[in-house]
Amino acid sequence: MRHHFLTATFCAALLAAMPATMSFAQAPAAPASPTGLSPLDKTNPSKSGQDSNLRGHPVPPIAASVDKLPIDKIKLPPGFKAEVWSSGHPGARTMVQGDKGTMFMGSRVIGRVYAITEKDNKREVKILLQGLTQPNGLAFKDGSLYVFAINKVYRYDNIEDKLDNPGTPVELTSAYNLPPEIHHNWKYVAFGPDGKMYVQVGANCNICELNLGIYAQIRRYNPDGTDMEIVARGVRNTVGFDWHPVTKELWFTDNGRDWAGNEGPEDELNRLPKGMEGANFGFPYCHAMGIADPDIKRPNPCAGVVMPAALNGPHSAGLGIKFYTGQMFPKSYQNVAFIARHGSWNREKKFGYDVVVARINGGKATIEPFMTGLLDEKTNSFYGRPAYVFQMKDGSLLVSDETSGATYRITYSLRSAGVN
Amino acid sequence: MRLNCLVLWLMACILCTPSVHAQSLDNRLAQCAACHGEAGNSALEGIPSLAGQPDFFILNQLVLLREGVRKVDAMSEVVKGLEDAQIIAIAAHYAGLPPALTGEAPDPAKVARGSKLAAMKRCESCHGTNLLGDQQVPRIAKQRVDYLSAALKAYRDNMRTGADTSMSAMIFGLSDAELDDLAHYAASR
Repeated sequence: MRHHFLTATFCAALLAAMPATMSFAQAPAAPASPTGLSPLDKTNPSKSGQDSNLRGHPVPPIAASVDKLPIDKIKLPPGFKAEVWSSGHPGARTMVQGDKGTMFMGSRVIGRVYAITEKDNKREVKILLQGLTQPNGLAFKDGSLYVFAINKVYRYDNIEDKLDNPGTPVELTSAYNLPPEIHHNWKYVAFGPDGKMYVQVGANCNICELNLGIYAQIRRYNPDGTDMEIVARGVRNTVGFDWHPVTKELWFTDNGRDWAGNEGPEDELNRLPKGMEGANFGFPYCHAMGIADPDIKRPNPCAGVVMPAALNGPHSAGLGIKFYTGQMFPKSYQNVAFIARHGSWNREKKFGYDVVVARINGGKATIEPFMTGLLDEKTNSFYGRPAYVFQMKDGSLLVSDETSGATYRITYSLRSAGVN
Repeated sequence: MRLNCLVLWLMACILCTPSVHAQSLDNRLAQCAACHGEAGNSALEGIPSLAGQPDFFILNQLVLLREGVRKVDAMSEVVKGLEDAQIIAIAAHYAGLPPALTGEAPDPAKVARGSKLAAMKRCESCHGTNLLGDQQVPRIAKQRVDYLSAALKAYRDNMRTGADTSMSAMIFGLSDAELDDLAHYAASR
């Protein structure tokens, strides 16, 4: 029976053969631009003076074994300590926690959502969902897990009671009606203090002119996908945001364009000032602290653009950001933002691969190192790539490492700080 | 051609245990060879050659196929129950085999046009010098023209899931003919 079935499946597939005609709407056959990477993308890499062989780093689809985790490499300020909190979840990035304590983790290429439960101080890792297209966007509210894959939006109700069999979700894809383009559209989402769902919509290119009424934004919706509003425009690709605990203003990381030099334009930490919903953050004409784009020019490119609260380093790839409100860390960390910097690819000398602290002063911020050691500057190689940060109820901080498929828990104690 | 493959396929299945799960590595490799070629160079229309692919690339793709992230009907049954250790072994096996051009011969006129387009698109930036591939990025030199052509169209039309999105961005807006030129060029390398 099985053989028949296999043969039938196989024959069908063979006959179908790969080059099936695509009845899909095809993009117009525009002539290839002589300078750009695509008819849309206006990147001119040869002008950048950078090593043309720079490219993105692979994400291992199989997790590193516990004894291979780079925990001994991690360096922290005095009094802080890192330990392995969970492992065995390749590609895991984003973290949200359910009301009953389940830690949900989203991923990109491997297409999984993990559920991590804790029992007797041990963690059990389950593959909750698989086969999704880059389910990086996760949010939790009123017992429901919201999963944003590229082009798919699902809501799993009462999920923590159904971890072994999550069942059929409520599909919200058409309600959210997000653009179909996939590049820079692995989602980051989060519920704001206003109860709205905030959603990233990236630019489908490295650098290009596109419809800024549709792309390169942060939007907000009612949780059911109704009443869309654009809250930030000209945002190339943010994959992390949070709200200041006191001012309730939205702060977000934004990844700067590539192939315009090793030194920048630097990635940004941005703040959306209260009452300025819909403000313009500059893409594609204006980058960092007012740098005009070298490939797409227009007069007064930075007019009306909200400048970043801080520059976050060249190609550093700041992803997750969380304001710290816990009681475990020293008072000086109250209301600072922790930012996971995934680390550069479009830079000859690697940069980032760390967690930094952004100290907020009104509308501006200063960036200082926090968790380092995963970048080996001597050999220009890295041991891990911090992707997201999460504050646990006890005030400890989790950092996800996408490369190793592990999370590290950072704690603080006066004793280890040498204070008795 | 199709008949040959079918016979081999049936043999592979008869040889193997009743369950597709928990098969030996040899059985797995025999299944692969039935379509991808005994030495990893495919003689079948639309079926890619695996010989000389970077082991990380094969590892990645087999995991994605097993997980259902990359959906290929012909592969969905054969990757069921594939264990991580077997995937690593299969990847190492094919990475060590010498690639050879199979299928239709690249058309010189298309190769010439594709060569210019490939230089403009900087294919070698990711696919490596001489398009030999590296880590997660596949070798496209000496790959089958028909496979490359179909794969490129699938990327452009956002039909190819389970891969990094930059490939789709890179060939956004190219015509079928331009993608065909690229396929002929890569195969000719």
